[in-house]
Amino acid sequence: MAHGAEHTEQEHGLRPMQYVAIGAGLAVITIIELWISYADLGSLMVPLLLGLSAFKFVVVVGWFMHLRFDHRLYTQAFAASLTLGVLVTLALLTLYWGDAADSIRGYREWLNSG
Amino acid sequence: MAHAPAVAHGGAHVTSTGTENRKLLMWIFLGSECLFFGSLIATYLVFKHQVIERGIGPFPIDVTIDGKVEHGIFDIPLTSTSTFVLLMSSVTMVLAVYGAHQHRLKMMKLGLLSTMLLGLVFLGFQVYEFRTFGHEGLNLTTNMFGATFFLLTGFHGTHVGVGVLYLGSLLAASFRRNGLGRETGEHVEIAGLYWHFVDIVWIVIFTVLYLIP
Amino acid sequence: MATIAGTLAQPTQSGVWSWITTVDHKRIGVLYGVTGFSFFLWGGVLALLMRTQLAVPNGTVIESDRFSQLFTMHALTMIFLAIMPMGAGFFNYMIPLMIGARDVAFPRLNALSYWTFLGGAMILSLSFLFEAPGGGWFNYAPLSERPYSDGLGIDFYVVGLLTLGLSSLMAALNFAVTIINLRAPGMTMMRMPVFVWMTFVISILLILALPPLTVGLIQLLFDRQFGTHFFIATEGGDPLLWQHIFWIFGHPEVYILILPAMGIVSEVLPTFSRKPLFGYPAIVFSGIAIGVLSWVVWSHHMFTTGMGSVPRAVFAVNTMIIGVPTGIKVFNWLATLYGGSIRFTTAMYFAVAFIATFTIGGISGVMHASPPVDSQHQDTYFVVAHLHYVLFGGAIMGIFSGIYYWFPKMTGRFLGETLGRWHFWLLFIGMQMTFFPMHFLGIAGMPRRIYTYDDGLDWGFWNMFATIGSYVLAVSLLFFIWNFFRSMRREPSAPANPWDAPTLEWGTSSPPPEHDFDAIYTVRSREPLWYDRDHGIAAPVATGEHIHLPPPSYYPILIAIGITLLGVGALSHLAISALGGVIAFYGVWGWALEPTD
Repeated sequence: MAHGAEHTEQEHGLRPMQYVAIGAGLAVITIIELWISYADLGSLMVPLLLGLSAFKFVVVVGWFMHLRFDHRLYTQAFAASLTLGVLVTLALLTLYWGDAADSIRGYREWLNSG
Repeated sequence: MAHAPAVAHGGAHVTSTGTENRKLLMWIFLGSECLFFGSLIATYLVFKHQVIERGIGPFPIDVTIDGKVEHGIFDIPLTSTSTFVLLMSSVTMVLAVYGAHQHRLKMMKLGLLSTMLLGLVFLGFQVYEFRTFGHEGLNLTTNMFGATFFLLTGFHGTHVGVGVLYLGSLLAASFRRNGLGRETGEHVEIAGLYWHFVDIVWIVIFTVLYLIP
Repeated sequence: MATIAGTLAQPTQSGVWSWITTVDHKRIGVLYGVTGFSFFLWGGVLALLMRTQLAVPNGTVIESDRFSQLFTMHALTMIFLAIMPMGAGFFNYMIPLMIGARDVAFPRLNALSYWTFLGGAMILSLSFLFEAPGGGWFNYAPLSERPYSDGLGIDFYVVGLLTLGLSSLMAALNFAVTIINLRAPGMTMMRMPVFVWMTFVISILLILALPPLTVGLIQLLFDRQFGTHFFIATEGGDPLLWQHIFWIFGHPEVYILILPAMGIVSEVLPTFSRKPLFGYPAIVFSGIAIGVLSWVVWSHHMFTTGMGSVPRAVFAVNTMIIGVPTGIKVFNWLATLYGGSIRFTTAMYFAVAFIATFTIGGISGVMHASPPVDSQHQDTYFVVAHLHYVLFGGAIMGIFSGIYYWFPKMTGRFLGETLGRWHFWLLFIGMQMTFFPMHFLGIAGMPRRIYTYDDGLDWGFWNMFATIGSYVLAVSLLFFIWNFFRSMRREPSAPANPWDAPTLEWGTSSPPPEHDFDAIYTVRSREPLWYDRDHGIAAPVATGEHIHLPPPSYYPILIAIGITLLGVGALSHLAISALGGVIAFYGVWGWALEPTD
């Protein structure tokens, strides 16, 4: 598709066929994910699914969004925000699923008891 | 760092760090969106178990209440198909960006058009899914699963819709006499960043909501 | 407003239309500042009404519902419509000048964020004509839900804050990019003035903290309009979730309010001590540390909600840790003063007073970090005292310091020093009289947000004392306003650098020309003007090349009108929203196709 290295060829990024190949790879991973969700893999299932999802995420951000080839600053800006978003989400879940959940459950029972 | 900005506003002028102002703006904005969707996903997960404890369905997954099995409402094969459609739209988007950078305008326009169409197909799937759920008795007010699910996926769908408008505007503008001007590549690339971000949010939603029981 | 603002800058064009279409960061800064100060006065009037009601036991000036609206609107006005926009005024005016640039990265976006702010401010304030929100600025669920607040008040709150949030997000994105990318040659990150650094931290905080608030507000909107139950416990929702989401935003917001003042003081102290800021890296890193830590302390607002012991311990420790970088800053400011040849101008008075009163507020803040102590203080006047020491004694003192400091740069005129002293001392004394007794009242058990109290509780004396103090405060502001108009009637007399200050904004004329700098500086030090002076380096000379300025545009105000109508429609009739949507969409198209070269 790309006819050799034209003078407008970007110094970074891939050629069209490579992008298509990456897209095909992502589709295959999605099919594997689908298979995992039906197969009985026990405690392996959640980490596997999260891992594959993270892998797809990184591939799209790194190659499709050019972070892999672009200025470091973009990566830093996005990675920092993403990390914060994940941490805040996890902190909130810890508060709800951990120690705090008991208090909330107690409160709800108290409410329901009238 | 050695060069002064000759002109003090947006565009592909020389900047302190060598990054493009508009692109940097988009990346920081996408960072902000991480927190937006993070909060929505957190809300969904907070209520996930509690919905089952309360026992008012429909539920996302199969649940046994008083010995009776309530079937989960998610249609995984259907959602997998729409996930595939959105994933493919990222491929066409990246080809549009490539075309814009290489001044291959036909490739760019074709890429933009197919990305828009794939986005619309995805939205069609979502409308179908929402309607089916509605028929099975799940709406915003049924239970917390309904509220958090529709809010999260609804806002994702809104982002896809905005993206379609965004790409459509670029496509329409590219047919003007001067096209998208000197900064064609930059404009399409930034729109692409937005589109891919909407895609990766769906990658997370697909796993966290649909696949993990 | 335009006429007052018109005298503040030195426009090459004048008239209302030139202000409406301006994309000049200096004019937008002036608009922000004047609007913010007007709302500061309005919020003060609300406070005076409340203090009048509370002056004596069983007061009868205001009844209870109205009182709830007053304290809610007082907080919302002061936080979102006064302190934040006054800070934004300084960002707009000063940041490009301080980094040696000719404008912000996105001039039209800058205008759009101001006009959107004005729209949101109008929505929030005009609620008084219908029904003002009365649920506190934190608007706790389930009180904010339909079954308990049926009127329009909470809807005004939701729509107003969504609009203001959008405005802040646009401004913050703009300033983050501006500071990263538009610095003059040689202006490395570690040579930036502390005020620029603090603006940078605030921008990042806003960009990351506003989305959670947006989500919470949308959930509340859905609860009220579409019958979901996010925050209603009896229907499966959870009121605590609102508290978590609100404070995930709310605590960074507290630092968004105070960091501009810290930045201003870090500029004023070195200038009037005639020596460089002591421990510049420590102050910068403390500011960053505060920004990071502000994300892990939110639940200290929720110690009494029964979170469990481990979360309480974690958030207590985090809260105590965030006191450390704050303390580092205080000691660095003191060390900056030490051994300096100090000039006590009014700006300096305010800066020094900032250190003292802010420290008092900071120390009572560390007290609340301990959950058992907080259980006693929660919802008493002790907390009211604490937050006013930080926000009035901190943020407002810092902003006044900045006004006196930068007034010559912005107008070419000086504010009167004698009237300035009257202003300062009355404000300082009034502030202590108003807020210090609230510590006593809180310890004596007086709850916050009560609209009256009984005679036998022994709270009468200190309440009367505080009320008198609040009137002294009001009088001090009259001196400031007098001072302002008196100065504005005079001929401009300020030279480029009247204080012999070290930073770049003083390297151009007062007020600056529309293009800011005739020639771009090359920065060789953290104190560029002092370095050039001491090394005999002359200011750069204009090369005569054409300086491109972005043309004025009416699309920002058009889009802002569209956004405002979208919000107004959500409060009244959806047809108005549709109209707003069309206007905004048309505006975005016109904006995108408008030539900027």
